[in-house]
Amino acid sequence: MGKHIARGRALGLWGGAVGAQSGTLALYTSQPDRVAAETVAAFNKLHPAVRVEIFRSGTTEVMNKLAAEFLAGDPKPDVLFIADAVTMEGLKAEGRLLPFPEAEVSALPAAAYDKDRTYFGSKLITTGIVYNTAAKRPSSWLDLASTEAKGQVVLPSPLYSGAAVIHMAAVSADPELGADYYAKLAGNGAIAVQGNGGVVAQVAGGQKMYGVLVDFMALNAKAKGSPVDFVFPREGVSAVTEPVAILKSARNPEAAKAFIAFILSKEGQELAVRQGFLPARTDVEPPAGFPKPAELRILPLDMGRTLQETGELKARFSKLFGG
Amino acid sequence: MRGLGGTAGERAILLGLALGTAALSLLPLGRLLTEGLGSGVLGDVLGAPRTWLAAERTLASALASTAIALVLGTAMALLVGATDIGAKPALGFAFLLPLTIPSQVTAIAWIELLAPTSPLLKALGLAPPLGSPHPLYGFGGISFLMGIEHAPLVFLSLRAGLRSLPGELIEAAEASGAGRLRILRTVVLPLLRPALVAGGAIAFVSALGNFGTPALLGIPAGYSVLTVLIYQQLAGFGPQAIPAVAVLSLLLGVIAAAGVAVQTVASRRRDVRTARPSVRRLIPLRRWRPVLSALAWIAVAALVALPLAALLSTALVRAYGLPLSAATLTAENFRYVLAEHAATARAALNSLLLAGATALAAAASSVLLAYILVWRPGALARLVSLAAELPYAFPGVVLALAMILVFLRPLPLLGVTLYGTLGIILAAYLARFLVLALRTTVAGYLQLHDSLEEAARNLGAGLWRRIATVVLPLAGPAVAAGAVLVFLTALNELTVSALLWSAGNETLGVVVFSLEQAGDVSSAAALSVLTVLATVLLMALASLAARRLPRGVLPWQG
Repeated sequence: MGKHIARGRALGLWGGAVGAQSGTLALYTSQPDRVAAETVAAFNKLHPAVRVEIFRSGTTEVMNKLAAEFLAGDPKPDVLFIADAVTMEGLKAEGRLLPFPEAEVSALPAAAYDKDRTYFGSKLITTGIVYNTAAKRPSSWLDLASTEAKGQVVLPSPLYSGAAVIHMAAVSADPELGADYYAKLAGNGAIAVQGNGGVVAQVAGGQKMYGVLVDFMALNAKAKGSPVDFVFPREGVSAVTEPVAILKSARNPEAAKAFIAFILSKEGQELAVRQGFLPARTDVEPPAGFPKPAELRILPLDMGRTLQETGELKARFSKLFGG
Repeated sequence: MRGLGGTAGERAILLGLALGTAALSLLPLGRLLTEGLGSGVLGDVLGAPRTWLAAERTLASALASTAIALVLGTAMALLVGATDIGAKPALGFAFLLPLTIPSQVTAIAWIELLAPTSPLLKALGLAPPLGSPHPLYGFGGISFLMGIEHAPLVFLSLRAGLRSLPGELIEAAEASGAGRLRILRTVVLPLLRPALVAGGAIAFVSALGNFGTPALLGIPAGYSVLTVLIYQQLAGFGPQAIPAVAVLSLLLGVIAAAGVAVQTVASRRRDVRTARPSVRRLIPLRRWRPVLSALAWIAVAALVALPLAALLSTALVRAYGLPLSAATLTAENFRYVLAEHAATARAALNSLLLAGATALAAAASSVLLAYILVWRPGALARLVSLAAELPYAFPGVVLALAMILVFLRPLPLLGVTLYGTLGIILAAYLARFLVLALRTTVAGYLQLHDSLEEAARNLGAGLWRRIATVVLPLAGPAVAAGAVLVFLTALNELTVSALLWSAGNETLGVVVFSLEQAGDVSSAAALSVLTVLATVLLMALASLAARRLPRGVLPWQG
């Protein structure tokens, strides 16, 4: 116990409620199953008495399950750990998030967390192009709409993935790519699967040559020996911060704070790097295969506008790609 | 309701149970009807091209799969039921396996069998070239797979028909010099027409309601049938999509009702009743016997064994996409789903609980409801029969949505919300699977002579006493078989729970489906293999325990 407290202090935990936590912590997340399991295992090394219950699905489906729980008057999660900040902004506006002012954010760039400290970006996850190494290396988003890629493109659905919502918003707002870019993809025979995992399975499995995909899945598959590679297209990539937040209705807010403190700690961020993610903290080295965060060209995103247009974007996608 | 007989207390219990059963199934379906028709988006949904595209795809894949199911099921039923082919029980059991293996598992198995990454095909050097889309994604694959899955339904319907086939007619035809094919065409098939129509209709309605197969094979091809569209809209837009999907599910219900109506009309058109057969006459295959026997086993191997082998090999390979070899062999995927993937254990427990509770409740209420159906025919019996049959006849998503409408808000008076709990899945399972227990229980009761029950009543035995001392000892095996059927069906269920699950309340079907959707193919395959093992084990246990059953109670037993 004493050791844990010492370690908690060393990690720069907030003042008052230092120490090993206990009880049950309900975690709703869009992280891949195995990533979430590793993160919880690492957290449990510091707080062995906390029983973390993981519920995982795509961000969109997680949020819809949560919306139904709000409607039924019984939201279950303590911690929400999903793909994008826009969704968090929506929850914050509804007054669903619990501020955590003591959170240690000194090593985070200001853009990574909410100034009111209700949610905190944990990583930088970009969406670029994955391709099967048997195909020609693409360099631009427009390559996916070319004749060479006809019938060979697979993308994740915003009806399931949060990163896919942000990607669609960023691409549609880009003056060069434009609002009809997705229509062009659909016209070129691109198909949508539910999540990013489905995209990498199809491209690694050789059923499609190109995919729209989050960086870490592509680079992890490549590292494991799958015949794929990842491209940061020249127009730029879209990015999400995978924020983590505590719900106001949380039943175990102290354990929730400890969880967030772990995610933002140097140890937590180093784990994220080992899992193949670009870390949020500036004092942790990015994993191999990534450009320096400063050198990344990121498509700009208007948060307020995206928040308003999310429903419309999803409806447009659903019309174009079915489902 | 004096017709129920017995004391006032007994009547109240029977009546209460019957009305409760009716309420659980008919109220939600009625609520769906009013919600859909009164919905402000009725025009929007029915005016959207996507709606009709999905409806057209639903109809096309259901019709094509029914044709495949009819050909396969008829061929197999004739071989097993009308000829002197060998090893019939084994052949029948193997051919019926696709019926008890959940469709999401069958779909994953076939995806693995024919993928460019197929470890099995890679080992044989037969894998399709890279860059080719999966041959099963889209219309063809969905129809083909649903055809295989539903062929056992045609088989079962025909086998029952073949049992009452009069051997005299075949003997007469043989005596007048007709060849085997001619007997088949002019005697056997015409007499089997009602069974064929019934089997075809069940296969058609099952295809309309199938979710696992078209979801796994259709979503990656952008090919959405109605069940999949409903699921996608609900998962992608949340509670706000409910009015629109209510309209979609009504549309699906209308198509299903049309299918049932066609069957009713078609089977009424001609009277093919015959006297009870006094002789069973099998068509001798003679020199064709070894050939046809070999063909039948090859078909079973190709349709059942091969995809399961592919599933197993994917589950045993270290990283998805590598060929199966000594170097890539691992038990890691099994270890992960069993020990590490928390949702698996939770879902296994949930599914066991749900299946157990549904089976127990369905069997217990069947004991009483069958009593009404068999010994107290009348308006109440007809109501119970309708309430039990409807939720099973309609596609699962229709019922699931109806349940959401009723249980989304807190229940009046109680203030409890079932939505977002296991309770709503349990309610849906009870409504949907009661009929499986009820049918077998009724079959068991019909074998009892009602004089036994009457004698006990005349001796002054109350309802409970009569059930405990007369009915159950004799009809017990049938009740137990019904419970097993319900258990097995509920354990592997996906269509209903895909819409009703919530965090922490996943079912096994949902977890397999989610793993595959999230791209964790190896884990999905491993969990699928475990599901198949559990299913076969349960079937074997039921067969062992059910030696005293009336014929045909367990569908896979001859």
